[in-house]
Amino acid sequence: MKRKTSYPRLWCRDWYSVFTQELKHIFSDSGVLIIFFLAGLAYPLLYGAIYSKGSVDDMPIAVVDNSCSRLSREFTRGLDATRELRVSCLCANMAEAESLLKGRKVKGIVMIPSDFGDRIVSGEQGTISTYADMSSFLYYKNLTMGVNMVMLDEMHRIQASRLAEAGYDEHRISQFVQPVRYEENLPYNRSFSYSTFFLSAVLLLVIQQTMFYGMSMLTGTMREENRSIAIMPKRLNGRGISRTVSGRGAAYWLIYMAIGIYVAVLVPNLLGMPQNCRFGEILVLLLFYITACVVFSLTFSSFIRHRETVFVLFLFMSPICLFLTGFSWPESSFPEFWKLFSYMFPSTFAVRAFINMNTAGADLSMAGPQLAALSVQTIVYYITSCMLSKAETLLEK
Amino acid sequence: MNFLYRIKAIVFRELRLMRQSQIQLLATVGVMAFCCIFFLTLFRDGFPKDLPTGIVDSDNSSLSRNIIRQIDATELGETIGFDTYTQARKALQTGEINAFLVIPEGFYEDVLSGRQPVLTFYVNSLYFVGGALAYKNVLSMVNLSSGAVQREMLRAKGMSEAQITGTIQPIAIDAHQIGNTTTDYGIYLVNVLIPGMLEAIIILVTVYALGSELKNGTGKHLLEKAGGSMTVAMTGKLIPYTVLFTVTGITCDLILYGWAGFPLAGSLWNIILGTFLMVLACESVAFFIIGTLPILRLAISISALYSILGFSMAGFTFPVEAMHPAVQGLAAIFPLRHYYMIYVQEAIFAGGFGGWHTHAVCLMLFMLLPPLVSDRLKKAYIFRNYPRK
Repeated sequence: MKRKTSYPRLWCRDWYSVFTQELKHIFSDSGVLIIFFLAGLAYPLLYGAIYSKGSVDDMPIAVVDNSCSRLSREFTRGLDATRELRVSCLCANMAEAESLLKGRKVKGIVMIPSDFGDRIVSGEQGTISTYADMSSFLYYKNLTMGVNMVMLDEMHRIQASRLAEAGYDEHRISQFVQPVRYEENLPYNRSFSYSTFFLSAVLLLVIQQTMFYGMSMLTGTMREENRSIAIMPKRLNGRGISRTVSGRGAAYWLIYMAIGIYVAVLVPNLLGMPQNCRFGEILVLLLFYITACVVFSLTFSSFIRHRETVFVLFLFMSPICLFLTGFSWPESSFPEFWKLFSYMFPSTFAVRAFINMNTAGADLSMAGPQLAALSVQTIVYYITSCMLSKAETLLEK
Repeated sequence: MNFLYRIKAIVFRELRLMRQSQIQLLATVGVMAFCCIFFLTLFRDGFPKDLPTGIVDSDNSSLSRNIIRQIDATELGETIGFDTYTQARKALQTGEINAFLVIPEGFYEDVLSGRQPVLTFYVNSLYFVGGALAYKNVLSMVNLSSGAVQREMLRAKGMSEAQITGTIQPIAIDAHQIGNTTTDYGIYLVNVLIPGMLEAIIILVTVYALGSELKNGTGKHLLEKAGGSMTVAMTGKLIPYTVLFTVTGITCDLILYGWAGFPLAGSLWNIILGTFLMVLACESVAFFIIGTLPILRLAISISALYSILGFSMAGFTFPVEAMHPAVQGLAAIFPLRHYYMIYVQEAIFAGGFGGWHTHAVCLMLFMLLPPLVSDRLKKAYIFRNYPRK
């Protein structure tokens, strides 16, 4: 008589066979491999190359100096000296400057009116007009920041000279010009670098999106070949949902822990991004995030009927998930509905935790709320993916 | 007449296929509708209001409380009080606040005795819009408090209000934002994000439509119906999609510039022309991808990677001229880049034809791509000579 295999051993054997079968599926499908490895591995580096400079320096602007006074020339020189701006053209009139702006030769205009010098000398307020090209916010930011810094600088100098004329000594002047001094600290991204900002958000999103697309492609293939996604050993007769779901999930989990470490640890290192967090803490975040991504993808990929439709129908979710992380438009200004909608995606929480930990140097305990949210997602999506697999086997019968 | 008759037959065949699968219609109309709703509602405020700023008031004097009250009264957003620096720092690190200001102990005393105390502020510039705004806000706050002290000093000297203003702020800046007077973040992004989405959808749906014939092995049937002419087959196949994409694109243009009231300095007709040229260019790119790689699943994956990259390479978030020199030239191979340049010339500067004709020509150059791969695709349709598994 054959010895009966114990339940745990049977479970493990089934689990292992599902797990290896899924790995075989993944590695025998070139479309999925492109998405997992080409997109997962090359995209972060490509984005790193695109945004390698991080900031727009020496943006060309035109200055229309109608005042032609000492003060206006000083102001122009000041603008040219900033990191943000470069005075590439001194124009005789506004029409000339406008044509340069339209021809995209300059990205902004600073106009100093004819009465500027006289007004300042007579103790009144002089006005300087700026015209910003709004086609990109970085142009606007550069012009505003550059002009404001020069303005503050000039202002202090003008105040000082006025008070000196009124007979104040240097100490009193300094007291008046700066009754309160300030010190600014931009600890995590000193230069408002676009690459630090964009890559911090996009790196982890790549994990969720490529996993979802790749898994959906495989699910679609199975459906087209009339196989069930609930690839359970026949003799179980529809039981054994958990070993199937966890076996399949483990295959993706294994691949993505490797991709995840590459994306979240190696890539920031290669690109010279700030890494203010210990490896162990990032690893814990990845454990939570990738587990949530696997069950999220298992749940939603089971709605895919055809192999190719996932990209046609769901590619648009990538930019949307990116905005839902609140990396650009702040979460506090989200309409209530989209805030709730964003809780569906593991990326929402993981990206926030990653930005806070990796770049701002928060420790794991400060990412507690995000890890808790990822755990809730894991539980909910695990249950739904089991239910969907069960429904599939019932439908087949 | 035979030619037109055959094209008509292919068009009806395609319409039947579209009705059967419904993916194409859902992906175009459904996805674009969702994107329009999403982006127009997400950025409906224009710019983030009431961003909280943290304040650590270690002085707790009448002056420091007065400063906090004044800040609260401005549109710079609400303030959140923290007892210690550590608490505020943690809130900054977790993104709860984007900036905080530390008022040092003995602040009031130091101001009174002219010892020029130092206000310290910290900004988290990892969240771009929030960080940049918070930086601007907190700078205004600091200057506001500085100005308030100066004003008191000058009043005590008996100066008139006009003289005081001239002394406190000798230079004022009158800022004009061309093409987006209210610095509305939504206007800036949505104007390019929606066409970007359209670009992605056109490429994907076209590749899907052309590639499905390969996958289902119906390419031979298609060509038989077209009398063996690839031109007839492709023209007939693409006419329904061109109409669908153009109508969707124009609807989006009308939603943005009509219903949502986005500023448009030039003419709507030129924007519509730009949209139409982009539709044709994207279809050509899709044709090129499926022609070069006549395997539906690979072509779809490549199209997806390409379209997502288009958003970055359009250069509306991070300008192309500031990118790494090695990738700058690549921007030209994305139709969205050229559409964006047309949009900038038309909607922001009203540059008209003279401003954007080079980019219109670039978009038309994309249409030279299909003839290059047409033969390859035809052979793939007839002989199915590509790896199928």
